[in-house]
Amino acid sequence: MSRRSSLAHLLPELVRTLFARRATVRFPSEPPVLAEAYRGRGVVHAELCVGCGLCVRDCPAFALELEREGRHRFRLVHFEDRCAYCGQCVDSCRQDAIALVSEFPRASPCRTAFTRVLVTHEASEE
Amino acid sequence: MSRITIPIGPQHPALKEPLSFLLTVEGERIVESALRIGYVHRGLERLFQDRSYVQNVHIAERVCGICSHIHTTAYCQGVEALLGLEVPRRALYVRTLLCELERIHSHLLWLGVLAEHIGFTTVFMYAWRDREIVLDIMEDLSGGRVAHAVNAIGGVRIDIENDHIPAIHARLDELERQMEMFLGVIQHERTFQARTRGVGCLTQEQVQRYCVVGPVARASGVAMDIRRDQPYAVYDELSFRVITADEGDVWARTMVRALEIVESMGMCRQLLDKLPEGPLASRAPRRVPAGLVISRCEAPRGELLYVIRSDGSDRPARVKIRTPTLPTLATLKDQLRGVHTADVPTILAGVDLCIACADR
Amino acid sequence: MRDVASAVLTILVFPGFGFLFVCALAFHWIDRRVTARFQGRVGPPWFQPFADFVKLLAKEDVLPVGAHERACALLPMVSLAAVLTAALHIPVGGYVVTSFEGDLIVVLFLLSLPALAYFLAGWLSASVFSVVGGSRALLQYFAYEVPFLMALAGPAILVGSWSVSRISGAQSGGLWTLLVQPIGFVLAFIGLIGKLKRSPFDIPKAKSEIGAGPLTEFSGRKLALWHLSLQVKTVVGIFLLVDVFLGGSGGGISLSGVTLFGVKCLLVLLALSVTGVLYARLRIDQLATMGWRVLAPLALVQLLVVVLVGG
Repeated sequence: MSRRSSLAHLLPELVRTLFARRATVRFPSEPPVLAEAYRGRGVVHAELCVGCGLCVRDCPAFALELEREGRHRFRLVHFEDRCAYCGQCVDSCRQDAIALVSEFPRASPCRTAFTRVLVTHEASEE
Repeated sequence: MSRITIPIGPQHPALKEPLSFLLTVEGERIVESALRIGYVHRGLERLFQDRSYVQNVHIAERVCGICSHIHTTAYCQGVEALLGLEVPRRALYVRTLLCELERIHSHLLWLGVLAEHIGFTTVFMYAWRDREIVLDIMEDLSGGRVAHAVNAIGGVRIDIENDHIPAIHARLDELERQMEMFLGVIQHERTFQARTRGVGCLTQEQVQRYCVVGPVARASGVAMDIRRDQPYAVYDELSFRVITADEGDVWARTMVRALEIVESMGMCRQLLDKLPEGPLASRAPRRVPAGLVISRCEAPRGELLYVIRSDGSDRPARVKIRTPTLPTLATLKDQLRGVHTADVPTILAGVDLCIACADR
Repeated sequence: MRDVASAVLTILVFPGFGFLFVCALAFHWIDRRVTARFQGRVGPPWFQPFADFVKLLAKEDVLPVGAHERACALLPMVSLAAVLTAALHIPVGGYVVTSFEGDLIVVLFLLSLPALAYFLAGWLSASVFSVVGGSRALLQYFAYEVPFLMALAGPAILVGSWSVSRISGAQSGGLWTLLVQPIGFVLAFIGLIGKLKRSPFDIPKAKSEIGAGPLTEFSGRKLALWHLSLQVKTVVGIFLLVDVFLGGSGGGISLSGVTLFGVKCLLVLLALSVTGVLYARLRIDQLATMGWRVLAPLALVQLLVVVLVGG
């Protein structure tokens, strides 16, 4: 017991707080500082994606769909409204084609606004 | 004196957790209480059976919002045991580090909730402000404040870069200073003591009869801690004290948790200093051989237990979770008998209920 | 004709309703802002109390089945009218509307009417939370009122007058009552916190225990009036304390006197905010024990000292 019971024990901390930086972030006018590792919007390096579907298989929220027409024609569609931003797809991808970047997914009243085509792979020369 | 019945919850300004109490009150004394739970039952245990082992890591993470990491740790540990998988040491260190950071953040959050319930708004604000220090560390490490997505079967997904370690130490220094302030308030502030001492007492016998775990049990003098009694991850390589108290009231629980934060900070420093080099994960096969495993962890609220049964496919046949809140709920009837209505929020906050865990 | 016009002006503008309304909102805002700053937050913008008031006025007014409708409509008005009337006898910056021998008693009586209205509101609005809150309000009233009255009787006995403006004026030449009767001031201050139901004595409306206490079932205009009456009561209580213990405006009506009065009021408000921030809420039985075992005997000691030494 360093100090005896006192009537105003918090007072030093009150004074310190008075001169310290406020903890509040004024959100819309002050943009939030996102960590570098922040798991936000998903991006895919289209040239690396081979359409193996591992990410689709492992996604716990069923937020990814692979639409396949033939061996080299496929589309990878991301449903951001279902996405849990857990990063499992990044982990599952053997080509290191997917990344979650520190960008805030926007809000929208329209659900279809959250459907994004990540990769469109047309039949190429190979 | 006439009796009136006061409903508390599931929607109530005092209770952030969805559970419901019907308190029968005589004057300001409580004579009878009836508890009802199940408002946030989401059928998660059944959901585990419909997903692959890999997907289930994220289901486990969403059992609880506060102790998300410890749930995935318990789950991954169980699956790794079924697979007979050797987890790299560096991965275990990172895992343990997150466990301890999470304990600090959970305890600070709880301190804030308790302070708010006894009308000590300033301590509530301070506790949640200083909790941001830990959350910042975790966000920098994993990208998430509460859903870290760090654990994977066979290892972890994030790495701690060596030049990042001094920054974490600096933040822990800051938190250490703040903890000194909080400990001072808990030990010396009169109004705080007036509201928490002698409230919600549980004796050692009661604790043992109800099988209460975690800080609530330790505050009643039962020295039990899975980290020491059955070390998992790398706890056997760390030195730490198991904090206990004898009073068994809300004040003792506050003290135990505050000192546990200090212990956890020490453990974080040890982990950062000893961090071995090596790989972060070993590859896990998708199919898990048939078997049954019990995985135990020390969650911030006490012992967390996962039972996983596998039938040899890529999905678990059954996952059963036993959360630390469940036995504590049973003690509430005893704790609430004969107390002042003003002490009800203090008692409910004091045991640190996590209904999302308990209902699943 | 001119008398009537000036009387109307006095009651409606200064130092009547208009002035008190502005003061109430301003003090409320300053209090919230200061509290926020101490807690590391930003706090609301300056128009927030006014915006809240207007919003409540515009909202639908509902009462549960079983509540006494007429009483519930009347009680907030009674409460507000009482505190507004009390303000007429308290000098503001040296200016007082009516003053007569014994107006301190009237002021104290009028300031305790809201507590009664508050209790009745809890009792009549058909909700368990408000019933519990109402009975707590009454218990709290008995705990703080006696020391508060005794603390204010000290200066009156010393000056030999039961008029607020005389007590205030008597200090203009000599020492502030605060310096003569420090215990009395502390007791009156604590009593004021109890009267205003501010933290740490916000027991009847402890939100984590019983919702909003007696006001749980109130909404719309009635709630707006309740809030306003509590905020005006804060202002009136601070004025009273400054006049009785801190020497008021220092005698006469002058610009420097008014400024001085304002500064003293803000200091008392700051002290109220800091006390609110420093402590955890007490339990009603703890407050009652404190009121009768600590505050009342102390008040008695102070009174004895005043009578024996001063008289």
